[in-house]
Amino acid sequence: MSARETILARLRQRAPDAPPPPPLPPVRSTALLEQPPFASRLAAFTAILAKLGTTVEHVADVATAARRTTELLAEHGARSLASSDHALVAAVTAQLPTDIERLAHDAPRDDLLRAEAGLSSAQWAVAETGTLVLVSADERHRLCTLLPDLHIAVVPASRLVATLGCAFARLQPDAAPAGQTITFVTGPSRTADIELTLVVGVHGPKALRVLVIDD
Amino acid sequence: MSGHSHRTPDGFAAQAREALGDRTLTQAMRRVTDLFAERRAAALETVPDWQELRQQARAIKLHTLARLDHYLAQFAGAAAKNGAIVHWAEDAAAACRIVGELAQVHRATRLVKSKSMATEEIHLNAALAAAGTEPVETDLGEWIIQLAGEMPSHIIVPAIHKTRQQISELFVDKLGVAPSDEPTVLAAEARERLRQHFAEADMGISGVNFGVAETGTILVLENEGNARMTTTLPKVHVAVMGIEKVIPRFADLEVFLRLLPRSGTGQHLTSYQSLLTGPDVGVPGRAGQGPRELHLVLLDNGRANIAVDETMRETLACIRCGACLNACPVYQSVGGHAYGAVYPGPIGAILTPQLQGMHQAAALPFASSLCGACKDVCPVQIDIPSLLLELRKRAVEGEAPGAAPAKRAAFEALTWKLWAWFVRSPGRYRFAAAMARLGDKLPLVKRLLPPMRAWASSRALPRLAKRPFRAGHKDGGS
Repeated sequence: MSARETILARLRQRAPDAPPPPPLPPVRSTALLEQPPFASRLAAFTAILAKLGTTVEHVADVATAARRTTELLAEHGARSLASSDHALVAAVTAQLPTDIERLAHDAPRDDLLRAEAGLSSAQWAVAETGTLVLVSADERHRLCTLLPDLHIAVVPASRLVATLGCAFARLQPDAAPAGQTITFVTGPSRTADIELTLVVGVHGPKALRVLVIDD
Repeated sequence: MSGHSHRTPDGFAAQAREALGDRTLTQAMRRVTDLFAERRAAALETVPDWQELRQQARAIKLHTLARLDHYLAQFAGAAAKNGAIVHWAEDAAAACRIVGELAQVHRATRLVKSKSMATEEIHLNAALAAAGTEPVETDLGEWIIQLAGEMPSHIIVPAIHKTRQQISELFVDKLGVAPSDEPTVLAAEARERLRQHFAEADMGISGVNFGVAETGTILVLENEGNARMTTTLPKVHVAVMGIEKVIPRFADLEVFLRLLPRSGTGQHLTSYQSLLTGPDVGVPGRAGQGPRELHLVLLDNGRANIAVDETMRETLACIRCGACLNACPVYQSVGGHAYGAVYPGPIGAILTPQLQGMHQAAALPFASSLCGACKDVCPVQIDIPSLLLELRKRAVEGEAPGAAPAKRAAFEALTWKLWAWFVRSPGRYRFAAAMARLGDKLPLVKRLLPPMRAWASSRALPRLAKRPFRAGHKDGGS
């Protein structure tokens, strides 16, 4: 008997008088709740990320986003930028000063490992939790949001949903999830493993900055 | 390995005494448990439907566990359809063999690993070390423990028993760096060192927090980013998953994500969740960025037997948040090492005897005052006190007939008989109470016969009133 059959056979050894399994309850999702207006969602998103040291700015257009990205890079002393392959990211990077080294999403691994900043969009942002939801099928996000010390995300305002449940509902349009790799990012990397003292940026980014762009 | 491996579940009493004598340890334990309990309470206040969430999570888990054969097969099928390679491991040895062979086949000599209780349970690192390919632990706390050759003392913060000075000394000793007791400096050192390991690794090993049956998706939850590194940078990703981690629906993840971080660290959500559905081979026109191969090792190792035990099944509903550890007065005092097992605290006291067998861990179900704090905080409402009682019953029934339990029973029967004789007559009762009042002036231990002394050595009895209530009542109720 294969290990698979052995384990499944063990699981089928129910007592003959065993009660029937309790029913599976219907899905409980916050997606079904009434959604607050955009201004409230943005306020909640900004407030909860502020607690994690992440700033959220609401900007009017791509040009403003590019200007703020340039300033944020300067503030953090970052001179190289790894980008995802999202169209909005491309639009922003096209307007950045030329003295910033650009690294595409498919640049050699060693180059990406030494990139000082990363720029991505996000497929969804969750107001309630301050979470960016990145889907690999829509954006090659995995390296540029993880390896550099600074992660800047440019997110279309229309993508800001109220709750985690709203995101889950959108992440499963059909039976299958929307992408092979879905990453939820809430604030910078952190640890409290040494005497419970908070240290930000232990393996992933030390800082996260979010620009919400009107669309 | 410097030796803490000599600790065993059945050595709880001696190990607990040893722990109580370690001031650094007891202070650290008090700090972590108090802080997490406080943060958890604060986090709960922001969730008005907390009780409904707990009931929902419990109902989902109990349903799934009762039909685990069905959901597990569904999960494995969906994962395989998405391109994951599914392995089945009946026990720890099989799981270690599977991972070892995967390393061999891929000629992987440099392995990185993110935090996973299942891999701790099967002692995967030791097994791989024997083959010369010990993985590097990449969670900061786990890395510290690995450098020190020790065991985790808490399931969320494994190195909580070590002070920053001890960690600094360890880094000086093992890494040859300058001493510093600044956590930011120590963490930066870890970042630097582990970056090298991530960049060079051939294989990444992770655990799994939830496996979704309908989609074959696994979810890995963390704060540091090391699990993302481990599951992104190497060419091969091996995820070891206890079979009880399956939940039926993708949408059910929301409920568990609302419960788990709040219960564990009081965070509303941890920094990162990775939801992986097969290897990241990409979509047409957009190549993947992650490992080309995803292997899922489905680990039984005693779980199936618990799943078919109607009484004990809910043990497997645990989502490993650690809230019961932080709430437990025993754990708060003695910490994780005293339990002599990978899973400490109340959940460990019910899980370890069932995974390792009662013959090795019969002491653990008794390492509790049955106060019920664990049940109160459990996000899936596991009735740990009742399960502890059931395991105590089984431990006693399993003992050889005629030995200690019979003697205990006879002594207990005699005690009750004496008590009954004294309270049946008012005169005898008054006499006994007067004697007790006399005895009350002596320290408790001295008052008790030898069989009770061990019991009394760690307990304090309330003092009797100087005058019986009856006397006051006669004087006119004052």
